[in-house]
Amino acid sequence: MMKKTVITVLLLLLTTSLLHAASLEEKVVEHTMKNGMKLLLVERHTSPTVSAWIRFRVGSANERSDERGIAHLLEHLLFKGTTTLGTKDYAAEKPLLDQIEQTAQALIAEKAKKEAGNSAKREELEARLKTLEAEASKYVIKDEFFDLYAKNGGVGYNAFTSRDGTTYLISVPSNKLELWAAIEADRLQNAVLREFYTERSVVMEERRRSYDADPESKLWETFVASAFLAHPYGQPTIGWMSDIENLTRTKAENFFHSYYAPNNAIIAIVGDIDTKATIALVERYFGDLTPGKPVQPVTTVEPKQGGERRIELIAEAEPTVIIGYHKPPIATPDDYVLDMISMILGSGRTSRLYKKLVVEKQLATDVGVFDAPGSRYPALFLVNATPRAPHSIKEVEDAIYGELELLKKEPVSQRDLERILNKNEYEEARRMGTNGGLARNLTEYEATAGSWRYMTEYRKKIQGITPADIQRVARDYFTRENRLVGFITKKGGDLK
Amino acid sequence: MRSLLLAVALLVMASVLPCAAAPLKANPRTLTFPPLRYEIPKSERVVLECGMPVYLLRDTELPIISLSAMIRTGSVYEAADKTGLASLTGGTMRSGGIEGIAPEALNDELEFMASAVESHIMEDMGTVSATTLSKNFSRTLQLFAGVLLQPAFDEKQVDIARKQLIEGIRRQNDDPKQIGGREIERAIYAGHPLGEVATMASARSITRQDMVTFHRRFYRTDNMILTVAGDFDRDSLLKELNATFKKTAGLPTLALPEIPQPRQEFSAEVLYGKKEVNQTVIRMGHLGVTKESPDIYALRVMNYILGGSFTSRLTTEVRTNQGLAYNVGSSFDIGRRFTGSFTAETETKAESTGKAIKLMVDIISGMTKTAVTDQELKAARDYIVNSFMFGFTNPSSIVTQQARLEYYGYAPDYLDTYRDRIAAVTKEDVLKAAQKHLHPEAFKLVVVGEQAKFDQPLKNFGPVRELDLKIEQPAGK
Repeated sequence: MMKKTVITVLLLLLTTSLLHAASLEEKVVEHTMKNGMKLLLVERHTSPTVSAWIRFRVGSANERSDERGIAHLLEHLLFKGTTTLGTKDYAAEKPLLDQIEQTAQALIAEKAKKEAGNSAKREELEARLKTLEAEASKYVIKDEFFDLYAKNGGVGYNAFTSRDGTTYLISVPSNKLELWAAIEADRLQNAVLREFYTERSVVMEERRRSYDADPESKLWETFVASAFLAHPYGQPTIGWMSDIENLTRTKAENFFHSYYAPNNAIIAIVGDIDTKATIALVERYFGDLTPGKPVQPVTTVEPKQGGERRIELIAEAEPTVIIGYHKPPIATPDDYVLDMISMILGSGRTSRLYKKLVVEKQLATDVGVFDAPGSRYPALFLVNATPRAPHSIKEVEDAIYGELELLKKEPVSQRDLERILNKNEYEEARRMGTNGGLARNLTEYEATAGSWRYMTEYRKKIQGITPADIQRVARDYFTRENRLVGFITKKGGDLK
Repeated sequence: MRSLLLAVALLVMASVLPCAAAPLKANPRTLTFPPLRYEIPKSERVVLECGMPVYLLRDTELPIISLSAMIRTGSVYEAADKTGLASLTGGTMRSGGIEGIAPEALNDELEFMASAVESHIMEDMGTVSATTLSKNFSRTLQLFAGVLLQPAFDEKQVDIARKQLIEGIRRQNDDPKQIGGREIERAIYAGHPLGEVATMASARSITRQDMVTFHRRFYRTDNMILTVAGDFDRDSLLKELNATFKKTAGLPTLALPEIPQPRQEFSAEVLYGKKEVNQTVIRMGHLGVTKESPDIYALRVMNYILGGSFTSRLTTEVRTNQGLAYNVGSSFDIGRRFTGSFTAETETKAESTGKAIKLMVDIISGMTKTAVTDQELKAARDYIVNSFMFGFTNPSSIVTQQARLEYYGYAPDYLDTYRDRIAAVTKEDVLKAAQKHLHPEAFKLVVVGEQAKFDQPLKNFGPVRELDLKIEQPAGK
């Protein structure tokens, strides 16, 4: 592995100086550490900045039913420090954290008894929890990770959790990459999930803000849950409210220790770096992490729908509609064809749905095509639209179905295919233009498609797609049996 | 090859051997770094034969060119009964085709080349921007210039744009956060064009002729600045630009009307929007300053400490300590042309609405009472100075930033002296700026939610005016 790295580095030095714009294939340096941690590096010297992304191959799809929401809550808690950072005195703090955990668990157990529970005991536990938290907070140095990065000019310090993975990201001035290595390695080895129950309240507010109080997002959450009766892709990453209320620090720690092993991690570092020195830096900080068990793939298979599903949400909002069809995962032969179809139907002002629904019939002000809620396992091909009054959901639906039928009946033109290939040529160039964007793509595709080379092989895959492939795939997937429709009905409006 | 391998091996070994000068793993608290002297990349300013200034920055990393024009216009120039006209004009310049090329043909030609041209008019600026593979630059430039100077305003596209605006108005109260954001702006800028929002009546009254007139008034080569960044050859680019942009003959002298500043009036008001939701949207604020204020550097530091970062006072107390919110913060927008504003925002469960409002007002008031700590001051200054370079990470943002300085009339050394001025801000400066520019007693407070579920009635914060959130339904088919 070392030898391969060296050769790639040498080639890189030669080619970048000779070629006008080196391809991604030439720019990426791969390095796998002994403990299984995968490193992807790209040198870009446009500005003295670096983006570093760490992705774990674990997301909400890996949660058991009594853990729903834990991947995301853990992500929040991993910003709270370690045994040495974020604390004034961990030895004094630890016994309090343990008492907080005992008290919180007792409180959860008491609350679970509902009316049969003892309300005096509940209040006593609540008061005790508050006192202990106040006591423990005396030892906390608030958000010290953030503070250390910020004073050194770090920007965009954040993390996100999806169905497929959890990613921690930051951009720093290029002379400060060691700070990143020092903080992140400490976080992986010595994380302390302090301030757990206050942060759980923050996540409940996040849930209210992002789903409960926003009708379109609430429809989306209900829609996805209805699409997957068996597969965990159906459960919301943030967790249902009652799930969040029952999450504990113990559950989060178990999840952390089961999954956050170096062999489940992919790191992308893009920017003003010296590749060799950066590999040495990462080896120095992360090399002694012990490997853990690899994340096991989700084995549940979503059964075929066997009939259309229709989901209605009554809300204080104007109607919107979303239509979904079950589709295969990323990097499968039909998925490339569905990508082409997505471009033909929904990309830009020349797309068929825009021309038909927005310009010609003016049934909708807006129409979009995308796929979700994940990539690694079978997911959904989606069309959403904003109807324009007084046009109904049904009119919009019928117009969309008309375009899908057309794809089955008539072969698409060569010009349509060529436009997509041209767009892809532009995207291939553009996506190399930002450190963060490239780091995102490298970690995402390495994790979900099996390799970052998904990007470099993409052109060849779509060049081979014929009009007949598109017709065949449209016929296979765009059926009533495979369809799910979600829509908002305005409160007080006509119920259909 | 072998010697290189050996070098790598030595490097790895060296880093494994513990050594007093360079510990194996450093403590993030005490880690020191090699110095990094950062100079802002400079673009070149050239004046075309027609008199139009162009900012150029060549960068050949990617085979892409981006260009943009900044036009002196804005929604502040539209009549109150035509609110929405500027925004519709900006959008329809692109969607409505150009002279000699119908909308569908323009879309097809651009998208087939994977080029993009977009046009917008904001409050105090119009922009037309384009991106293209460098091999398609010449044709994209022609279409860009067409959108900029010869838009056709196709009647059908005008109609679609107007209908979309009307549909947007119908939906403007669906998301409580959207209501909060709009109503705080309206309250702060009441009586000024910046406080106007489009209505069903204003939207319906906008005609194609209104757009043509609005465009003709502002979009002329003596009223804009151009930027080009990316993979171009300087000489041939300038030749092409000079051939494309000519002085328009026979135009009257450019005369833009004076738009007055918002009246400096500070008075408290509580606005309530009723919405059946389990979380309340809270927005508060008042008028701020323009970039001419000598206090802008102190205000930048002040807001970072108050509510502009994850370790700010608002975030630490409302979110981290009390778990009352996911999103909380403040911003002190420095007005580039018109007086800016100070606003603070959060969303919290209905049952903690009053508690969160009071807490935020107290924290903001606290900034005017005692000086910030040395630690807070240092953290804020260090962040702003050390993260400065992230404003200049790609060539197109560098050129547009430099053109914007000219557009808004900043001092030429504004960017060059920015870090030194931030570094010179003292605790006294921050306190004085807070005392002068924060007026919690005169907040416009906007609250959207379900008052019956609040922990205390809103009248505790002052006389309440309920917002009318009913939407007039559009007539017609």
